[in-house]
Amino acid sequence: MDFELTDDQLELQRVVREVAEQECPAALVRAVIAGTDDADALWKTYVQLDWPSLVVPEAAGGMGLGTVELVLVLEELGRVSDPTPFLATTSQYLALVRACGDDAQQAALLGAIPAGGTGAAAFDGDVTASRSGDGWTLRGTARNVVDGDRADEVAVVARTDDGPGVFVTSRTDVAATRQTTFDDTMHVADLRLDGVSIGADRALLAGGEDGIAAGRAAATTGLAATMVGASQRAFELALGHIRERKQFGVPIGSFQALKHMAADVFVAIERARALCQFAGLAIDEGDPRRLLAASMAKAAAGDAQRIAAQHGIQFFGGLGFTWENDLHLYVRRAKVGELLLGTSAEHRVRVAKEVLAR
Amino acid sequence: MRLQFDDQTEAFRAEFIEWLEANAPSPEETTERATSSAHVPEWARRWQRTMFDAGWLVPGNPPEYGGRNASVLEQFVHQQELHRRRIYPSFNPQGLGIITPSILTFGTEEQKQRWARRILRAEITAALGMSEPDAGSDLAGLRTRAELDGDRFIVNGQKVWTSGAHHADVILAFVRTDPEAPKHKGISCLLIPTDSPGVTRRPFGSLISPDDTDFNEVFFDDVEVPAENLVGPLHEGWKVATGSLGHERAMLWLNYSDTLDDLVQTGGRALVDHGLGDDTASLDWFGSLAIDAEAIRLLGFRTLAKARKGMEATEQSILKLFGSEAVQRATLQVLEALGPDALDPTERTIPLYHLDSEVHGEGWFDRYIRSFSGTIAGGTSQIQRNIIAERVLGLPR
Repeated sequence: MDFELTDDQLELQRVVREVAEQECPAALVRAVIAGTDDADALWKTYVQLDWPSLVVPEAAGGMGLGTVELVLVLEELGRVSDPTPFLATTSQYLALVRACGDDAQQAALLGAIPAGGTGAAAFDGDVTASRSGDGWTLRGTARNVVDGDRADEVAVVARTDDGPGVFVTSRTDVAATRQTTFDDTMHVADLRLDGVSIGADRALLAGGEDGIAAGRAAATTGLAATMVGASQRAFELALGHIRERKQFGVPIGSFQALKHMAADVFVAIERARALCQFAGLAIDEGDPRRLLAASMAKAAAGDAQRIAAQHGIQFFGGLGFTWENDLHLYVRRAKVGELLLGTSAEHRVRVAKEVLAR
Repeated sequence: MRLQFDDQTEAFRAEFIEWLEANAPSPEETTERATSSAHVPEWARRWQRTMFDAGWLVPGNPPEYGGRNASVLEQFVHQQELHRRRIYPSFNPQGLGIITPSILTFGTEEQKQRWARRILRAEITAALGMSEPDAGSDLAGLRTRAELDGDRFIVNGQKVWTSGAHHADVILAFVRTDPEAPKHKGISCLLIPTDSPGVTRRPFGSLISPDDTDFNEVFFDDVEVPAENLVGPLHEGWKVATGSLGHERAMLWLNYSDTLDDLVQTGGRALVDHGLGDDTASLDWFGSLAIDAEAIRLLGFRTLAKARKGMEATEQSILKLFGSEAVQRATLQVLEALGPDALDPTERTIPLYHLDSEVHGEGWFDRYIRSFSGTIAGGTSQIQRNIIAERVLGLPR
């Protein structure tokens, strides 16, 4: 197995990192949290740079790159606590539409993304779809939908009499309530659907249960990648601090107690990063291990964020306990990721059961 | 990135598998077991020589030294197939993995023929003399003294933890030749035949059992060693030492990878057999174990990809730390999950592989105890963390 990034992938990683650092500094993240600015201008910049079209299939007017590339981009965006709808649009909405829609539906729905169209995916909740005339009617509630309050389109997983399907609705047709979360750069919403009508062209029934699982695997992997990025940033900030901060006349990073903690954070992040890229690769190659790999990635990202946050704040001492320190921006992003699409504990049990059943 | 190897590497793998299946000795031929890492039964010597002659022993070597000038990826799939089948190419692993590569890298032509070739052909076996009573993690603090006196060295001092020394024909020993120089600069590397007058070897039991005698104390009292046995330049033995430990490091993680895979199998079976297959607490750590087993493979592959390009991989520094601690965590978890069912130390928890030198009838306690060899030998986990913090993360010394 060749598990090395290609030159093109490394270049993509480099460019995205450079632009993201420049365009999404901590000051912007703080302004979004404070409500004095929003992510709109940043999203327009991404659109101008053609980033949303990176993983849009060529048939829908995109560049057709794979999940490995998406993982690389999302890690970089997690690293700057990106406040735009990129995560949900690419790793959730697009992935679910690709996994469940037929070719015509994919082309029709995803064609809007390169121009800046956004999407969300509602995986969890209690929604039923029933036939009405040529189309469908959706009823029920969906929970914890990332960007459910601001995306243009929402792909909703719903039960039908013939098994689960995915139904794409305009966000304005659903009642969305944004939740309060401890990371205000993330939009997380609950949706209520009171008899929403969906045309047959927006009922994605080609993928079935397997398609939904595949879409969920991509979403899980994408979220894990952002957590790795946010953890990486928290770690970089903390490392920078313990290299410089002096007590007892020496940099505190020269103390073994801190060195050993730092090494443990490094190992946890490397482990999670490798598993995220593996999950991306497994999804791209249609490998039967892709669901397992996605769960492994999410569990490992959860382990990484936990130790990166824990040691990161501790490394800063009193300075870590201030609002002024940027560390918490990334700790919050990583920790929100941990709580969505299955916690690391849930994914560990899922991994364990699947491995034991082999 | 892709999940498969290229066709050429896969063809190499197929050729090796075919050869292995046709040539590996049968269980009946292998009843005599090795009792130390330098005790090689006759059948195992024949097996090693068969591999040498066919160019399958160390495929990266030239044919003269038991190889076929294989590429890094080919060397890797060779290791992978051996590990997968629990086949040891040599029952003198340090001879094959550390000592002969050191001689082939740093030695003279005469040393290569006289020592490396014979070790590779299992005509003789070798031990590695590094640690001393007062030089463990601080290896460069070693004090065994070798004074050059005309055409010979006079060696005095003591080594310890010298695996297999009591069965070895020769010890590759690191000795202090310049006591005035800074500690890394006054070390040299000597090949010391164990039948030299003044060499005393005293094997001692390990934590596993008084009968598990691989370790030795080795004493040198005015031992005369011919000057021609100096490997590498005088006073530059530290280069040989770091080179020795660096050999094959790009693939050492395969040991941990295999052990973790085995623990997923045997630990998982133990959980199910003992009614813990639905126990959430057990599933939680078992999930972590399965994730660790996958992660080390991925990090290992990444290291390999970089090694192929001659790049230094930061992942390499974490493989030993991560692998050895993952094995330790998992064995401890199984041991303590099973309660009284894990009391019997003689219960065999891993299948017996006849071409594997590690054929102990190990219960879970022994497997846990043995895991400390991973977190202590070859640089403790704490030393590994220091190395990562200083060399990879750039923290001040």
